[in-house]
Amino acid sequence: MASHGLTYEGCNFLRQRLVLSALSGKRVKIKNIRSKDDEPGLRDFEANFIRLLDKLTNGSTIEINQTGTVLVYQPGLLYGGTVEHDCNPQRSIGYYLEALLMLGPFMKSPLKATLRGVTNDLTDPTVDLLKSTALPVMKKFGIDGEGFDIKVRTSWYSRGMAPGGGGEVVFTCPVRKTVRPVQLTDPGKIKRIRGVAYSVRVSPQMGNRIVESARGILNQFLPDIYIYTDHMKGANSGKSPGFGLTLVAETLNGYFLSAEMLSTPQGQGDPILPEDLGRNCAKLLLEEIYRGGCVDSSNQSLALLLMTLGQQDVSKVLLGPLSPYTIEFLRHIRDFFQIMFKIEVQKPLEDERKGGDKVLMTCVGVGYSNISKTLK
Amino acid sequence: EADSEGEGEAERAGDSGHCSKESEEDSDDEEDGDEDDESMEEEIGADDSDEEEEQGKYHSGTFKWKEGLQQKASAAFLRHQEAAPNLRKLVYGSVVEAEDSEEEEEELGGLFRVNRPQKSKKVQADALDCSHFNPDISHNWELEEMLNSIRDCFVTGQWEEGQDAA
Repeated sequence: MASHGLTYEGCNFLRQRLVLSALSGKRVKIKNIRSKDDEPGLRDFEANFIRLLDKLTNGSTIEINQTGTVLVYQPGLLYGGTVEHDCNPQRSIGYYLEALLMLGPFMKSPLKATLRGVTNDLTDPTVDLLKSTALPVMKKFGIDGEGFDIKVRTSWYSRGMAPGGGGEVVFTCPVRKTVRPVQLTDPGKIKRIRGVAYSVRVSPQMGNRIVESARGILNQFLPDIYIYTDHMKGANSGKSPGFGLTLVAETLNGYFLSAEMLSTPQGQGDPILPEDLGRNCAKLLLEEIYRGGCVDSSNQSLALLLMTLGQQDVSKVLLGPLSPYTIEFLRHIRDFFQIMFKIEVQKPLEDERKGGDKVLMTCVGVGYSNISKTLK
Repeated sequence: EADSEGEGEAERAGDSGHCSKESEEDSDDEEDGDEDDESMEEEIGADDSDEEEEQGKYHSGTFKWKEGLQQKASAAFLRHQEAAPNLRKLVYGSVVEAEDSEEEEEELGGLFRVNRPQKSKKVQADALDCSHFNPDISHNWELEEMLNSIRDCFVTGQWEEGQDAA
């Protein structure tokens, strides 16, 4: 079987490739990783991600050449269990968590992963965002059930802003044998907007200033807006100062659209005013609402993966415009699972005031079954 | 269009011979039925019939790019329209891709070649691995019409018939 592996080039979409490889059991070879760069090969955070993947699996082999420009990954059994991991501060925990969300339900034993590092940074979705949007998406696919619950136990997590980090997140996830096919086609109207404005090692007034400016824009649409302020100081506030805002819009049918924005890390780039940050974040949320769909842009690939792995039945999900990351993910799904989606564009009606074009994704699941799941 | 007319007027004042150009143009181009031009045609058009042939050659060279502008525009529009909803082909690639590569060779304005640098693929291969979606064109949310475009996404907006806030 070894010769049947897939070959890719470049370091982009590394997580997608490794996650899909682990789920499908197909060997993957990635070459020319930054081969023309001044510093060729894998970066520390990528090596760190591979190490995390190694902790979660049993019997996988990883080969990296001397310069780090070629990576060969032969997946093993997804084992799960209790894992502790120090994430590289170059990327936030969101980078690692996105992959864990995809792998979590398909482990042998329920996953309990403790991740330490940067909880909030500019490049990756923050832990707040994943908690409030990715989990509801997974619940729609039956990764919830009676007695089971998927929890990112962030109620007590401590925040660590970039670049210093110092946050800790515990992610627990039950295992499923199969994934339920879904029909998520009617997003429904937005009934409320919630959010968290957090300030770490700065004046507590920052939070209030963010909230006020964000509300100024969002109140034009909805009265039911509540943005919590979360101020942290002392031991549980990590190593670096900063502030940010996460906004989540909830629809009547229980779908979530989100947006977030953070202050620039200390000593990097121009500082941003909390008022500007609040306003810009509110506009980002409006942009996300304009795109619409039942799954927001940052969780498109998660939803599509669960559709692919569903039972052999038709799944439908209405999305906003596909992000470049999602488009690449669709190509990878075709490579690993031989599934191609039916993609239909739904144009809004003439007199409808519901934002831009939507995309209806339809597929028949591969009938993936988690054979390594322990029976009780 | 305005330029050529202005030119015509200037020429009419100086040398009547050039005015035959205008008459030629009118007969060529049906859409170009401005009243000014027609009256001018009546006035001077008949006078210099001998020069017409010479000018005709010259004219057909200069205004060739104008021919079938409407068809070209509509063809481009249709092409664009077809391309937009064809997401499946965008994602998975297919026969259309081969056609596209041919089109890339097309000349623009007879001077420039449409050339998509091969580099872009390489750059993407080593780009940042990040799931955030930041579209190039973001809307201006200061505008009232943009705000109005999403009003019905909220419970405070208008409801479809047969649905109720309850």
